[in-house]
Amino acid sequence: MSTTYVWWAIAIYVLASLFVAFLSRSEKQTSMSSYFIGDRKLNGFVSALSYSATTYSAFMLVGLAGLTYMGGVGALGFELIYLMGVSLVAFFGPRFWLVGKKYGYVTPSEMLGDRYNNKSVAIVVSIFSCLFLIPYSAVQLAGVGYLLQGMTNNAISFTTGVIIATVLAIVFSFIAGIRSVAWTDSLQALFMIVTSTIVVIIIISRLGGLGDFLHTLETNHAELLTVPGNGFWSFTTFLGMTIPWFFFSLSNPQVSQRLYMPKSLKSLKTMLMGFMIFGFIYTIVAIVWGFSAAIKFPGLENADLATPLLLSSDLVPPILGVIVMVGIMAAAVSTIDSILLTLSSLFARDVYGNIKKGATDKMQLRVGKIVIPIIAILAYLFAELEVNLIAVLSVASSAGLLVVVPAIIGTFFWKRGTAAGVLTSVIVSGIIIIIIELTQIKPLGLASGIWGIVISTLLFIIVSLLTKAPEQKASEFLGYIKVALKNETK
Amino acid sequence: MKENEWKWALTIFIIILLAYILPYTIITEVAKWYGSLLLWIVLTLTVIIINYFITKNWGK
Repeated sequence: MSTTYVWWAIAIYVLASLFVAFLSRSEKQTSMSSYFIGDRKLNGFVSALSYSATTYSAFMLVGLAGLTYMGGVGALGFELIYLMGVSLVAFFGPRFWLVGKKYGYVTPSEMLGDRYNNKSVAIVVSIFSCLFLIPYSAVQLAGVGYLLQGMTNNAISFTTGVIIATVLAIVFSFIAGIRSVAWTDSLQALFMIVTSTIVVIIIISRLGGLGDFLHTLETNHAELLTVPGNGFWSFTTFLGMTIPWFFFSLSNPQVSQRLYMPKSLKSLKTMLMGFMIFGFIYTIVAIVWGFSAAIKFPGLENADLATPLLLSSDLVPPILGVIVMVGIMAAAVSTIDSILLTLSSLFARDVYGNIKKGATDKMQLRVGKIVIPIIAILAYLFAELEVNLIAVLSVASSAGLLVVVPAIIGTFFWKRGTAAGVLTSVIVSGIIIIIIELTQIKPLGLASGIWGIVISTLLFIIVSLLTKAPEQKASEFLGYIKVALKNETK
Repeated sequence: MKENEWKWALTIFIIILLAYILPYTIITEVAKWYGSLLLWIVLTLTVIIINYFITKNWGK
């Protein structure tokens, strides 16, 4: 693929995004709540697109397509079970939104700290989120690096790609905080889905239409249409990969923080439904992508190469190939900038705000802005380690974030939950996950995420029962939700 | 949780259980487009429709 084309496409993408980012600037953003959650005034449409762009990253068309290539239809089940898991938003969304508005929460960990009446809860949860999300961002950055390198036959080096993505993520989050992130996200989301859908339709028609496409799969690659199929998607692997993703909408602060942002419950509804439709289409596109690569290029050793190969093949018109490549890059950047912004808000609000006595909102905002590039550079350094299995690392970080899930569920549904319960469950199971990931041992053949959720749930319940619950706060908090929910959802 | 929330939650839970169980049991040998491929798509669409009903009255 011509390197000149690639540079032109990147330049146009950057200019268009910058234009939108500047347009998004409104009145001065001088508070934490305006910079990081848009004053809780996001409309439904932007919320939906931005939620989609933040959730779906380079993983979809590279990692998920690669998983389809290697193991077949199990990848579809894996991604769709995640999507079904987003139904959690239908239950937790309005609750997050209501208490966010009433108590002025900017971050999910701030909510946990307040609900369990203990600052250490907010600090510890934030630190663990950073610990797991920085490698996740690094994986995204590396994704861009590999993509550009692969598509241009090394004319654009891995490092150049990673640096471009890092700089863009910093710039998009800096220009106007969440406003520029949400608006550039929206542009990128539309771009991602439109371009990839068009190309998939072209690929299918060039492979002889949908009927032939399915027929070829059934006759030449039958093992790709069942699970466990060729053995890649054994049930334990499937379970180990789906469980962390199932809870993604609660466990990952860059998306759960979004539940505070819509301007009304109606906008929250639009966000959820819009996202589900977007996710459904994008998942199908990524899976067809992987299947097409399996039909066209069977026998690759590195499945992550399936997408770059497909894009530069004769199935895809060259210009479209470049455009989709930029779409994948946009998917990565729109995920990284949201994570950057969320992590900075966690650090500023929950770590700095709780440790430094008398830290005002203004001081927190200043710290938040300083932290954005620092976190980006940390992610960049991780990316330069050049780890090669994108999907596995992505799942490893979402496994780590799972340990917060019992505490979040307890926040809304269990009066007896205590700060000691949260702290023990997050710290102990978080450390266990890190050990499992580092040593790559699989106790009883089960993945780290499953251990994480089981151990953290048990610890949360047992330790909570042994300690004293913040009864007054819990009654007031849950009582408010009960009344407000009745009024708002009838 | 409100009563109707429980009902929806249970329905979704059962659908998700099916999404885990069926592909690995009854249709594990069905190497056709109407096997696991179609099943997962249909189950997901059902869940999306349920979400529509859960959120229908929000903000009204």
